[in-house]
Amino acid sequence: MSIQRCAPGGWRDAVQAVLDGGGRFAGAWAAGHDGTRCWSAAFTGVDGELSALVCRADTGAVPTIIDLVAAADWDEREAHDLHGLRFDGHDPLRALAAHPDDAAAWMTPAPRTGVHDVAVGPIHAGVIESGHFRFHVVGERILALDPRLFYKHRGLERAAQGRSADAGIAYAQRACGGCAVTNTVAYAQAVEETRGLWPDHHTRIGRTLLLELERLYNHLNDISAICAGVGFALGTMAFAALKDRAQQLNQHLTGHRFLFGTIGVGASRLALDRAATDRAREVLRDLRADAATAWRTLEFAGPLQARLDDVGVLSEADAARLGAGGPAARASGVATDARSTSPRLAYESFTPASPRRASGDVAARLDLRAAELQATWDILDGLLIAPIAPGSATRRTAPVPLGLSVVESPRGATLAVVETDDDHLARLHLRTGSYANWPALAHATAGNLLPDFPLINKSFELCYACVDR
Amino acid sequence: MFVLLRQLARVRRDAGLQRGPRRSLALRHVDAGSCNGCEHELALAGSPIYDLPRFGLDIVASPRHADILLVTGPVTTRMAAALRRAYDAMPEPRRVAALGDCALGCGILADPDEIAGPLEALLPVDIRIPGCPPTPEAIAEHLRAALARH
Repeated sequence: MSIQRCAPGGWRDAVQAVLDGGGRFAGAWAAGHDGTRCWSAAFTGVDGELSALVCRADTGAVPTIIDLVAAADWDEREAHDLHGLRFDGHDPLRALAAHPDDAAAWMTPAPRTGVHDVAVGPIHAGVIESGHFRFHVVGERILALDPRLFYKHRGLERAAQGRSADAGIAYAQRACGGCAVTNTVAYAQAVEETRGLWPDHHTRIGRTLLLELERLYNHLNDISAICAGVGFALGTMAFAALKDRAQQLNQHLTGHRFLFGTIGVGASRLALDRAATDRAREVLRDLRADAATAWRTLEFAGPLQARLDDVGVLSEADAARLGAGGPAARASGVATDARSTSPRLAYESFTPASPRRASGDVAARLDLRAAELQATWDILDGLLIAPIAPGSATRRTAPVPLGLSVVESPRGATLAVVETDDDHLARLHLRTGSYANWPALAHATAGNLLPDFPLINKSFELCYACVDR
Repeated sequence: MFVLLRQLARVRRDAGLQRGPRRSLALRHVDAGSCNGCEHELALAGSPIYDLPRFGLDIVASPRHADILLVTGPVTTRMAAALRRAYDAMPEPRRVAALGDCALGCGILADPDEIAGPLEALLPVDIRIPGCPPTPEAIAEHLRAALARH
């Protein structure tokens, strides 16, 4: 990883130079305080190699880059609210993490004639996470959506500061139940980078297995959720039952249905003997057959299929511009998947899935999850062909104070940033796949009918918990 | 209107109404800052494998229809007001259930500036469902026990 430092005056030129070299924005974070304040951004190169740009922010002000990188919009708004940075040229700098009483301080400016606001949340009618949606509608047509999240902001990043790097993993795990493995693997890899460690073969295998087990139950859950979005109870229940069986396998293999506590820094404790891996392969084979049958039922379910086409369209250009990732971006034709450039994991010869039709609508996002499940079944079967042994990590390079890591979550690439001082956390930052996709979800909602929003929302199925942290 | 609602709530509480013979409890869930693990498991508790509705335990869309408020998460400062409003909207007799270790005040990861909880400090907790997250079986078991008690 390369680190380039600059002053606020050279910030925009430095960012532009990285973009010109093919770098893609991966996230930005504020760190330090008073005289040592910095505003940093991470970029993914064409080969997946990460680089960081660090800008001094002694005065608390930095030029904005949202005209160069639209995807940095939420990062700048968050840094303003939580770290007090100002972004010259970001106007209006609307509140994101802060919750001012004045609606104009956080809502999209909209024409006031004939436009009505529909306010939903933070408590919703179903069993879902808390967040507020403000729709600007004309009749039933949505002009714009302002998602107002951070109701679940627990201050996890701040609470982690000062802890030892080993203890910090608990904070990364608490960020999100559904992405616990992704977040902890990203955290562990970032810490290992600061210590100059490289995971051995067994650690890479163990972590990849756990990541795919996480993707498996999440994708089954998300297909179930899309069915719920149109009130197709049969599909909802069938895929909920499949998801439960996948979680029972998690419990059997690791002692936890959400795989909590399975990832460690600099080591992998997962150990499965031949009998355990054989049994797991058998369970997965049965599950795969049942999932295929259930999927065929969905494909021929008229009431479901009639609701999916041309709803919540995210164009390829918008997906790329807004920095969308994961299934949402791939369903729009942006074939990025951090798994294809993950040398610290066991994803040799991985190619990203593509939908039958990259139409960027709900249908494509549903279809893509089914396609990705095929890869996940294959990867799991391949990894479980031999017993899983505990692993470690070995010193390969000199320790450095900044570690970055990107891991593909079920919802897109998640960036973990770890800054250490004598192996204690000076800064922990998680920019999850969900965080990257919320602006794209809001964009894809515009122009649709209000009653279709639950379906569009479910087709992205983004977390709130790991956005709010 | 709110004066009347408060009056009615007091009248109903003082009347000490007994439930009818058909036993059921309507549940309203509020996420007050969970990691989404409890929500995953609560949703599964209503799926075919555990099927809570067969015991008369249904999740309802409004706190005004609910007997039990199921709260997850450590209660963030930003959710405290919404949680209070949901509780205030419930008719008497009402009960509060803390779902999961965070709601029960495990608190080890909390930034004190951002956490208003634990739930116990804000609302009277009647039902405690431990676990991180509690499994669908555990949720079903505790709620069925509550059904037998109330």
